[in-house]
Amino acid sequence: MLGKGGKRKFDEHEDGLEGKVVSPTDGPSKVSYTLQRQTIFNISLMKLYNHRPLTEPSLQKTVLINNMLRRIQEELKQEGSLRPMFVAASQPADPLSDNFREAQPAFSHLASPPLLPTDFVSTMPLESCLTPASLLEDDTFCTSPAVQHDGPTKPPPPALQPVKDSFSSALDEIEELCPAPTSAEAVAAETAAGDSKAQPSESNIHKPEGLPESRTAESKLMDPLPGNFEITASTGFLTDLTLDDILFADIDTSMYDFDPCTSATGAASKMAPVSADELLKTLAPYSSQPVTPNQPFKMDLTELDHIMEVLVGS
Amino acid sequence: FLGAGGGNDIQWCFSQVKGAVDDDVAEADIISTVEFNHSGELLATGDKGGRVVIFQQEQENKTQSHSRGEYNVYSTFQSHEPEFDYLKSLEIEEKINKIRWLPQKNAAQFLLSTNDKTIKLWKISERDKRPEGYNLKEEDGRYRDPTTVTTLRVPVFRPMDLMVEASPRRIFANAHTYHINSISINSDYETYLSADDLRINLWHLEITDRSFNIVDIKPANMEELTEVITAAEFHPNSCSTFVYSSSKGTIRLCDMRASALCDRHSKLFEEPEDPSNRSFFSEIISSISDVKFSHSGRYMMTRDYLSVKIWDLNMENRPVETYQVHEYLRSKLCSLYENDCIFDKFECCWNGSDRQVEFFSLCTSDIPSIVMTGSYNNFFRMFDRNTKRDITLEASRENNKPRTVLKPRKVCASGKRKKDEISVDSLDFNKKILHTAWHPKENIIAVATTNNLYIFQDKMN
Repeated sequence: MLGKGGKRKFDEHEDGLEGKVVSPTDGPSKVSYTLQRQTIFNISLMKLYNHRPLTEPSLQKTVLINNMLRRIQEELKQEGSLRPMFVAASQPADPLSDNFREAQPAFSHLASPPLLPTDFVSTMPLESCLTPASLLEDDTFCTSPAVQHDGPTKPPPPALQPVKDSFSSALDEIEELCPAPTSAEAVAAETAAGDSKAQPSESNIHKPEGLPESRTAESKLMDPLPGNFEITASTGFLTDLTLDDILFADIDTSMYDFDPCTSATGAASKMAPVSADELLKTLAPYSSQPVTPNQPFKMDLTELDHIMEVLVGS
Repeated sequence: FLGAGGGNDIQWCFSQVKGAVDDDVAEADIISTVEFNHSGELLATGDKGGRVVIFQQEQENKTQSHSRGEYNVYSTFQSHEPEFDYLKSLEIEEKINKIRWLPQKNAAQFLLSTNDKTIKLWKISERDKRPEGYNLKEEDGRYRDPTTVTTLRVPVFRPMDLMVEASPRRIFANAHTYHINSISINSDYETYLSADDLRINLWHLEITDRSFNIVDIKPANMEELTEVITAAEFHPNSCSTFVYSSSKGTIRLCDMRASALCDRHSKLFEEPEDPSNRSFFSEIISSISDVKFSHSGRYMMTRDYLSVKIWDLNMENRPVETYQVHEYLRSKLCSLYENDCIFDKFECCWNGSDRQVEFFSLCTSDIPSIVMTGSYNNFFRMFDRNTKRDITLEASRENNKPRTVLKPRKVCASGKRKKDEISVDSLDFNKKILHTAWHPKENIIAVATTNNLYIFQDKMN
C-alpha cells in the first residue's frame, strides 16, 4: 500500500490487484479480474458504510462510489450471480438522508460481514445457500407503492420449505393488508403458487385464521433464526428499496411532523423511506420496555401490530 | 519580460515560504485556496479554519534589481465561521473553498470568498490617517463635559500607523442546497456565478436576497443521479458565456442568451475513452477537478486525476493537447481509491499574460504559454505549450536559498532507479499540492503545500 514515503524492497511480483488491468475475457486472468472486482466492490461498500462525518459527505464522492457499485452490480447481474451480492448492496444506509445517523446502529452489525454474501458468490452455488437470498429479494413487506418489484416471487429452495411455508403465509397476510399494487401482484402470485401446492381445504382454512396465524408467523419472524434471517427482519422494511433509494432519497421532512397517534393515510404513504430504526424510535412511547436500536428483535407483538396499523393507515 | 518562447526556459528560484515550520499540521491551517489579484500586488490564501490571509508585494526597490518585491502579510481576517445545519444535524464547514478578486475600482480592494454554503463580499481598505481635534470628544473617545467647552475648532486628519480593515459588505446566503465548488466573476464586473454539485446560480454583486438559477442538473428522482457539477467559470470576454465541468469528464459551454435556464448546452466537450486504458476507475479519474479559460478566451484547460487537457473552444470532440501529470500512478489506482487519494481535486493555472508581448508578437509561438498544476510528494509540474517541454519541481524548505535555481525532479515509474530519481513507492501521498497560482503579469508563482505557501520567481539576470 502507499504510505508516508517509507522505502520498501523492490517486489518482483506485483500485487495481483495492481498492475495491468485484465479484461474479463482473458481465460486464466479472469480469476484475478474477478478478485479485483470483488475487492473494489468491498472497498466501495466500506466507504459508504463507515463514513460517519460530522459534516455532510461529498456528493461527488458518493455518486462516483455509487456508480462504481452499480457498474459492478450490472456486470454480476449479467454473469448471473447477482442475488447474493444484492443482499450486501441493499444494506448500506443513506449517507445523505436524515436516516443515516439513526440507522447506523441498526446496521452496524451488518457492517461486519459485508464479505459474507460475496463468499457465497465464490464458493457456493445459489441453491445450496442457507441465507434466504431469494426471500430477501422477494420480500414484499408493505412499503411505497412506487417501488417496483424486480420480478415475480420464485418458489423457495426445497431445503427451506418448512420455514418458508409459514413465513410465506405470514407474508401473504401482511400483503393482503397492504393496498400497494406491487404487493397485490405478489399476493396474486403467491396465492396462485400456494394454491397450486396446497390442498384447497388448507388454503380455505388459511384465510379465516388470518390474524392469529400471522402472529405466530411473526413471532417466528422475530426469533433470531440462523444465518442472515436477522438481516431479513431488520431490513424487512427496506428490501423493496434498492441501494439507490437509500442513498439518494430526498430528505423527507414530513418525518419530523409524523405523529404516530394520527395515522392518516398521508403520513402512511410517506412512511416508506423510514428505516426500521426510525420506526423503533417512534414506538418507544408505546413500549413498556425501552427499545434499543441494537435489539430490534425483542419487540412485543403488539408493537408490531402498531407498526402495521401505521403503515396501512387504518 | 517573460522571454520569447523557444530559447529561454524559465529558471525558477525559491523566493519565500509562509506558514508554520513544524511537521505537525493544525487542521485549521490547511490552505484551501490561493489567488492573485488582478494586478498581482496582492496574494490571498484561504484555509480550512475559515481565515483569509492577504499578502502584499513590496514596492520594487530600484537599488535591488536582482529580485522583485517580497510578499508580506497585509491583512488577516476570519471570513467564515463554522455553522450548524439543524435540519440535517450536520456541521457546515468554515473552510474557504474559493477566493476571487474583483478588479480594483477605487482605493479599496474587494474579493469574494465562499465556503460550502455562503458567499461573502469583503472590502479591504486602508486607513492611514485619523481625525483629531474633536470639539465634544477627548482623544480617547470619551465625551467631554459640555460645560468645559469654551472654543470651537475644526478637526483635522493626521497620519497614523497603517491599518488594514476588512469588512463584509454583502452576504449571499441560502441559495445552495449542495456544496459550493466554484465562484466566477463575470466580465461585466456586475454579476457572478456560484456553482454547487447540482446547480449554478447567477448573482448581482449588489443584490443579496435574490439569485437566478441558470443550471440545474438535479434529477427528479435522486436515485437516477450519476453525475455532478465539479467546476464552473465565466468566459473572460463574453459576458453571456460560461462553462461547467462534470464528474464524468465532460465540459458544457452555455450561453445565457439562449434561455433562462441553461440546461441545454451550446457545446459539449468530451473526449472518447481510450479503450486500451479502460479500468474500473476510468470514470473516477476522468472526473474534472478544475476548468480555466485562457486569457484570450480561445482555449480552456481542464484537470482530471492524471492529466491536463487543453481544449479549443471550436473543437468539441477532443482536446488539442493532453499533458500527463503523473502517469506512473495509473497502475496504483486501486490503492489510491482505497486511501481516497483518487478523489483529490487538483487545480491548474495558466501563466500570466503580458499584453504588450502578445500585441507585438508576429506568431503565437512567440507568446509564452505555460500551464502549471500540482502533484504528490510536494511536486508540481509545468508544461510549456510551445516547446512541449515539461518540468517537475518540488516545494520544500530544503531548497531555501533565494536565487538558487530549483533542481528538476524525476519520478522513476519502474525498473532501475537512477540517482536522484524517486521511485513511485517512495512518494508521500499526504504531501499534495492542490492549489497553485501564477502572477497575472510576471513570472512569480505561489504554490500551496498542505499548510505552507511557497513563492517562487524566475531568476532575473
